[in-house]
Amino acid sequence: MLKYILKRILMVIPVLLGVTIIIFLITRVLAPDPAPVVLGEHATPEAMATWRADNGLDSPIWMQYINFIVGAVQGDLGMSYYTHQPVTAEIAARFPATAELAICAIIVASLLGVTLGVLAAVKKNKLADNVSMLIALVGVSMPIFWSGILLILLFAGILHVLPSSGRVTPLLQPTGGTGFFILDTIMRADWTALGDVLIHLILPTLALSLYSMAIITRMTRSSMLETLNADYIRTARAKGLKKGTVNIKHALRNAMLPVSTVIGLQFGSLLGGALLTETVFAWPGIGKFAVDCVLKSDFPVVQGIVLLVAVIFVIMNLVVDIVYAYLDPRIKYGAKEEG
Amino acid sequence: MESKSSFSRRQFMELLGVSAAGFGLVSMAGCGGGGDDAKKEGGDAPAAGGASDTITYSLTADPRAVDPAYFDDGESAVVSCNMYEGLYQYGKTDAKVSPCLAKDLPEISDDGLVYTIKLNEGIKFHDGTDFNAEAVKKSIERQLEPNRNSDMPYASFVFGEEEAGNGVEKVEAVDDYTVKITMRAASAPFVKNLAMALASPIVAPSAIEKATDGQAITDPVGTGPYKFVNWTKGASITLVANEDYWGDAPKTKNLIFKIITEGNTRITSLINGECDIISSVDPSAVDQIVDGGFELFSEDGMTINYMAFNTETGKCTDQEVRKAVAQAINVEEMVKSIYGDYATVANSVMPLWMAPYDKDVKQTAYDPEAAKKALADKGITSLQCITYTTARPYNQKGGSDLARMIQGYLAEVGVDVSITEYDWTTYKTKVQTDPYDICFYGWTGDNGDPDNFMNLLADTNWSMNVAHWQDDEYKALIAEGLATPDGDERDAIYLKCEEMVAEKQPWVLISHSKNLLGYSPKVKDFYYHPTGVAFFKGVSKEA
Repeated sequence: MLKYILKRILMVIPVLLGVTIIIFLITRVLAPDPAPVVLGEHATPEAMATWRADNGLDSPIWMQYINFIVGAVQGDLGMSYYTHQPVTAEIAARFPATAELAICAIIVASLLGVTLGVLAAVKKNKLADNVSMLIALVGVSMPIFWSGILLILLFAGILHVLPSSGRVTPLLQPTGGTGFFILDTIMRADWTALGDVLIHLILPTLALSLYSMAIITRMTRSSMLETLNADYIRTARAKGLKKGTVNIKHALRNAMLPVSTVIGLQFGSLLGGALLTETVFAWPGIGKFAVDCVLKSDFPVVQGIVLLVAVIFVIMNLVVDIVYAYLDPRIKYGAKEEG
Repeated sequence: MESKSSFSRRQFMELLGVSAAGFGLVSMAGCGGGGDDAKKEGGDAPAAGGASDTITYSLTADPRAVDPAYFDDGESAVVSCNMYEGLYQYGKTDAKVSPCLAKDLPEISDDGLVYTIKLNEGIKFHDGTDFNAEAVKKSIERQLEPNRNSDMPYASFVFGEEEAGNGVEKVEAVDDYTVKITMRAASAPFVKNLAMALASPIVAPSAIEKATDGQAITDPVGTGPYKFVNWTKGASITLVANEDYWGDAPKTKNLIFKIITEGNTRITSLINGECDIISSVDPSAVDQIVDGGFELFSEDGMTINYMAFNTETGKCTDQEVRKAVAQAINVEEMVKSIYGDYATVANSVMPLWMAPYDKDVKQTAYDPEAAKKALADKGITSLQCITYTTARPYNQKGGSDLARMIQGYLAEVGVDVSITEYDWTTYKTKVQTDPYDICFYGWTGDNGDPDNFMNLLADTNWSMNVAHWQDDEYKALIAEGLATPDGDERDAIYLKCEEMVAEKQPWVLISHSKNLLGYSPKVKDFYYHPTGVAFFKGVSKEA
């Protein structure tokens, strides 16, 4: 197992290099010159030339790439063209917002998804199954920007019971701390601010969890159905065990293996920044930031965020594989073990 | 080994399940209890909608910086103009300049090269340090060559360039409260430049020293009515009233800028009481705001939206062809159709509030019959057009609708127009490299001075002068206007410039956009200045 983990960690290097080459080519070769956008309406050709030189854009593309990689290895992702602040600092300031939302969304999606999936499998072809599958279909089909706007219109625009945007009322915002507002407010025992943080989380969490919930529901249902038809389940029933005990203790535990993979990968994708949800709910995370920076041609930040997302995906894949092997002893990794 | 592993897995799964359920319950309990608490607190929770000592204004994007030397965007300007002040300030609704940190308007030498500025005494920066001549000197000098860096977008506009032979040569502190600025060439707009929210505001020397060399100040210190509290990137900026402010005390204690990029969410935040004022309202959403019982701010901005002919190459180098194309376009109908009531038909390059003489200018009248004949005589049957798709401050609908309507008008007079569209970023490059006969562009003014608009057509930088129009007589007028002090003589020069643009037709003027904002009826004395900023010192909000 250790050998496998080391091998997988080493494989991360070519994957990340591939990602950096692609994003570098997109931002430095295919995208238009950022100078006129960054410098604005008054930019003269001379000012743009000076700016390009100051930002190293006048050197050959391979040299720019090497400089980027050397910097990235040392934790220096360059400076934002737009805010003149280090990219790492800009991303670090926003990542807790994304992570907090992703954690809440994956918890809601997992709880609802597994519950609905089990219900659908146990009550196959009955009303509960059809309703669960309808909810899953809606969740998979409905674009987040649309469901987000509908939620905002209903709960903020019409019912006026929930806020439409932001993480917290600015005057209640915890300053300093970890940037994870739930944690920060609990650590300070500021229950008013905690309440405010939680009500701001409700709508974006609902919108963001919808898609993952649908995927988890469908996966749980199919995995449960497969398990429920297995011989050992029939044996358990024949032995006279209660239906609930068979479904939950025997069937669900085994059916959860592929579901845990899906949950892990969904969490990875949520941690990578929910572009649409963050934009619709003015959520100050890296997803919204990435969109803003693409529109402003702030390429060092775009490169930094893409690199971070790639690292998160690779790590989540690795974690899922390791956990999978740990949970199911039948799964072995590596040529020797297979042999 | 096997049995140990099996036991651990079971434990792990159980722990996972219990943790998930526990976290879920805690979250739900928190959600339930939190709503009431937040409402009691009266933050941006919907039930309370904000206390009377707090005004919340929505920005459309994160500000670029809170250092006037390092930004060129409206969002930064709106925030910073409430923390910093300049030597001069604009009128409440116009660009007439009056003293602010300066005691009086400057004494200008006869040759227009030396400005002697007396400063108000007894003013302190937010950190308690003194405002004086040395502070002014330091604030300006960091933006002069060779201290200037390429991340200071407005330094060359406000303070000039050595190579171009214009702008500030040196700044001297004559005594504690007298500053002497020596110019390289006379410049009538310079005093207006010193009233701008970009580059000009005076920054505390202590803040400059604290900032990393060559980087923007992140802990702003000015003399303005509001002090900086915090900036959560991508979320909000909070300011608090400066209790030691040297002028009239601000009427509202807390000033919050919330960053909401999505237009629909901004409107909902106003309706829901999370924001008191929202900027950049789309014309299509105006009814929603008015019907909801909110106020609409709708006044002309400082913009011009125009169609430019390529006067250097292609089919429109002939003035008569340009005139004929202009005759084919019903500008009034087009503006009404695309922008409704939220743009003014342009009769002059400058908006009416800047150019009271615009009604004297005679633009080419709509006459499709004459256009058809003239274009046929000239053998013009096709034109090449490029345009931008993205909304711009001077054209909230983007250039696609304009291009299609003009394609329609010209089709009626026998001219086929081919249109190529680009997003704005690409367009800025393509307009310098692609061949075209007509293109769309616009301008957002900076300092409220006529030169800022009229010299676009004298510029040799084709990214500014997309018509590539060069006329010696016009250039001479622009040079004369630049060196002539404000007054009737200067107005006459720019009226002549406007008439030349109408006659020689490098542009077809289309519209001046309006600034559209929505705000709560509880907000009193709010005004959005045409230079694109909002001063909150005198703004209050009923409980």
